[in-house]
Amino acid sequence: MATNGEPRQALEALFPRLKKGDYQITSSADPKYNCIAWAAHDSSNWWWPGADVEKEYWPAAVARQATVAAFQLAFETLGFVPCDHELLEAGTEKIALFADHAGIPQHAARQLENGRWTSKLGKREDIEHAVKDLEGEQYGSVVLIMKRPRT
Amino acid sequence: MISNPVKQKVSESMEARFRSLAEGWHRDTDHMSSMDAASAHPAYQEIIRLGSEVVPLLLRDLEENHGHWFHALQAITGVNPIPVSAAGNIPKMAEAWLTWARHNGYQW
Repeated sequence: MATNGEPRQALEALFPRLKKGDYQITSSADPKYNCIAWAAHDSSNWWWPGADVEKEYWPAAVARQATVAAFQLAFETLGFVPCDHELLEAGTEKIALFADHAGIPQHAARQLENGRWTSKLGKREDIEHAVKDLEGEQYGSVVLIMKRPRT
Repeated sequence: MISNPVKQKVSESMEARFRSLAEGWHRDTDHMSSMDAASAHPAYQEIIRLGSEVVPLLLRDLEENHGHWFHALQAITGVNPIPVSAAGNIPKMAEAWLTWARHNGYQW
């Protein structure tokens, strides 16, 4: 686990709500997977609906569009369905999709069994955090919550 | 594709320029998940404009750190050796580029 101050300073500069310290860095930076992959329990691929099909993984049945609708469909391929709140529910796994003011998805986080949230921050570290603490200039705000039964 | 990729030498000034640009790019974009958005950053675009001389540095960082230089390598060389089956698997994508580079005489 990365615990030195340099990553924390960088993360808190990007996400000012983390400055209150209510988060933990739970892995080192890793360029091999990103937030969407991590939300999908996949730490071997980089997920994004980029323009070039050779560069980023995206479910084949879902349009390669950076829209909330496309991301919703991508998570539906994993058994998630939309729900109306992010509160912890026993036996249920949730993901939160963040989008900017233009409605373009920027990030996804996954709820842990303890009610906290885990995020892979692009190529940067994984962190455990409160879901709203990543809202702001970089990732926008939470626009969609989805859930599925925990396995 | 560049005409004579073999025996390229990278000057110290080129390496310093690349390191400086790459540092700024990492600082500003490493939290992003969209490769298209990250590669649109001005520092990344400036690295592309460095041209063929920077390719060995991109290959070295790709090999050592799995740096996301896929857009830059394609823009500079004009080819894309990554098979669709490797999409999103960064080590496999990197290996596709390194294999192509070895077959085309690059040294890094």
